[in-house]
Amino acid sequence: MQSPASLDSTPDRSHSCHGYQRQVEFEAEAREFLTRGLVEGQRVLYVAPGDSGDFTRRLGMDGVFEEGARRGAVQVASLDETYSSGAVVDPEQQVRAYAAATEQALAAGFTGLRVAADATPLVRTPAQLDAFARYEHLVDRYMAAHPMSAMCAYDRTELGDGAVAQLACLHPRSSTGATPFHLHAHAPDWASAALDGELDLESRPLWSVALERADLPVADGEIVIDATGLAFVDHRGLLALADHAERRGVTVVLRTPLPHLSHVLQLLDVTGIRVEQVR
Amino acid sequence: MRTDTDTGRRGYDHAAAYYTSDEDLMAVALPFLLGGLEAGEPTVVSLAPERSELVRRALPRSAEAVFTVTDDLYARPAAAIKSYREMMAGFVADGARGIRILGEIPPVGLSRSWDWWARYESAVNHAYDEFPLRSMCAYDTRTTPRHVLDDVAATHPFVAAPDGAHLIGERYVEPPDFLADPRPMTPYPIERTPPLVELTDPAPAAARRAVVQANRASLSAQEIGNLVLAVSEIVTNAARHGRPPVLFRVWSDTDHVVVTIHDTGAGPTDPFAGLLPAPDRESGGLGLWLTHQICHHVALHRDKHGFTVRLTAGDPHHTAPHLHTTS
Repeated sequence: MQSPASLDSTPDRSHSCHGYQRQVEFEAEAREFLTRGLVEGQRVLYVAPGDSGDFTRRLGMDGVFEEGARRGAVQVASLDETYSSGAVVDPEQQVRAYAAATEQALAAGFTGLRVAADATPLVRTPAQLDAFARYEHLVDRYMAAHPMSAMCAYDRTELGDGAVAQLACLHPRSSTGATPFHLHAHAPDWASAALDGELDLESRPLWSVALERADLPVADGEIVIDATGLAFVDHRGLLALADHAERRGVTVVLRTPLPHLSHVLQLLDVTGIRVEQVR
Repeated sequence: MRTDTDTGRRGYDHAAAYYTSDEDLMAVALPFLLGGLEAGEPTVVSLAPERSELVRRALPRSAEAVFTVTDDLYARPAAAIKSYREMMAGFVADGARGIRILGEIPPVGLSRSWDWWARYESAVNHAYDEFPLRSMCAYDTRTTPRHVLDDVAATHPFVAAPDGAHLIGERYVEPPDFLADPRPMTPYPIERTPPLVELTDPAPAAARRAVVQANRASLSAQEIGNLVLAVSEIVTNAARHGRPPVLFRVWSDTDHVVVTIHDTGAGPTDPFAGLLPAPDRESGGLGLWLTHQICHHVALHRDKHGFTVRLTAGDPHHTAPHLHTTS
């Protein structure tokens, strides 16, 4: 069970997705992100492909970073040294590993774990992408309730915007234009998930795939989605959600300020979605 | 005339009842309603309040006719089809073998928004055909415009006369032919002024933002939400099923917003598009149908240049006076 949390009030649980075009963009953002973690007393972990011996130089380990490395606050891991080429991650096992790392960080006296990861090599094939996207949502759920935060980066040039969108949409935040919506676990008031952005032509078939991969938790036959940040949804977005509700045999509760949605659902004869009007 | 109700054959008997006085109307309507009530058929009266009262007083006190109110404000053909179909499905489920309806088009439908009510009168021949329905649509020939009466003649297979006669509508045209015929779309006064926004091949999101930004009308959040949804659905259809370029225009005054979406394609092939939900989800027909349910008015127009959908929120006939002096 997760505690009520919003992204802004708990920066140590943030989870964002960055599509980059050049590796130096990622390295610069990672350095800034991890530096902030060190200032806040977190243990930081840098994960990327390549030779881990080279990471410290690439990150430019100076000042607070160098000091952090001396007291065990900075860790690095190479994907090439951890995974074989083309490896498909086991989402749950992957989350367990990060949960253990977070616990270790806490046990060592840090306030939490902060990870910057370039996971491009783990999402190259459709099977890898599917498994990793499922993992992204699972770890998002973990982060919503634990002192772990992460910045996930993907090479847009290599993977293509479509693949990056499939990952970005399962984060609470992403670089501008990476995805038309976010479906994530950093939801207020005990909702199963939060949904923001817009669902229209551009989010087809991304939205259906995201729902299927997130496999949102059900409580008392309901999936409660806090959609206060959802600015628009067209009839296909609603029907895709209704299809998902039907497949899973549940009712989706949509908390929304949009004043016309319940009438539209009634017109569409949709029974699997209940609107909870919020301000 | 109609003898097949006794044999239980299903099908829609759609008659126009022309009248020039209240007495005229009663002479046609009363025997029709009483016949239904005597046969134990669900019998529905859907008229403007003054005529509804006239009928109510003329029927026996014990008569169990259903009276519904025609409401100008919320009157939309696609919504009427949906609610009549649901009502009749309920009657049939309860064992009705015949249904009678005496109705009329709401006053605004006979003047400013006749175009989509003409489509309604034609489409119901198909949309209600699965029900054992006999209906009379009352038209006052003193006040109904000539071009409306022409369409009435083309959309009613029968004409009901005062002496109980049930005549064949000689000028009746089958719905697919009537609906495929190009119909004129009279521009609103505001369409003669430069649009506030003009976009070519907009993404749905860009079209939505343009409408919200251009809106000067004091419409409710729900009305704006509905218009934005309609715009998104039609722009999506144009992008997916139309032919580029798609030209998108928005006008707004203090009490209405008008949006036109034009593409150079032929428009939907389904003659009932907009009035009936398309059975096939992928055709774009559901978006067009939804639009017909939630906008104050939707006009479809096709000519040799392509296909145009005009969406209206608010009343473009309540134009600010200065617009009439601008040309």
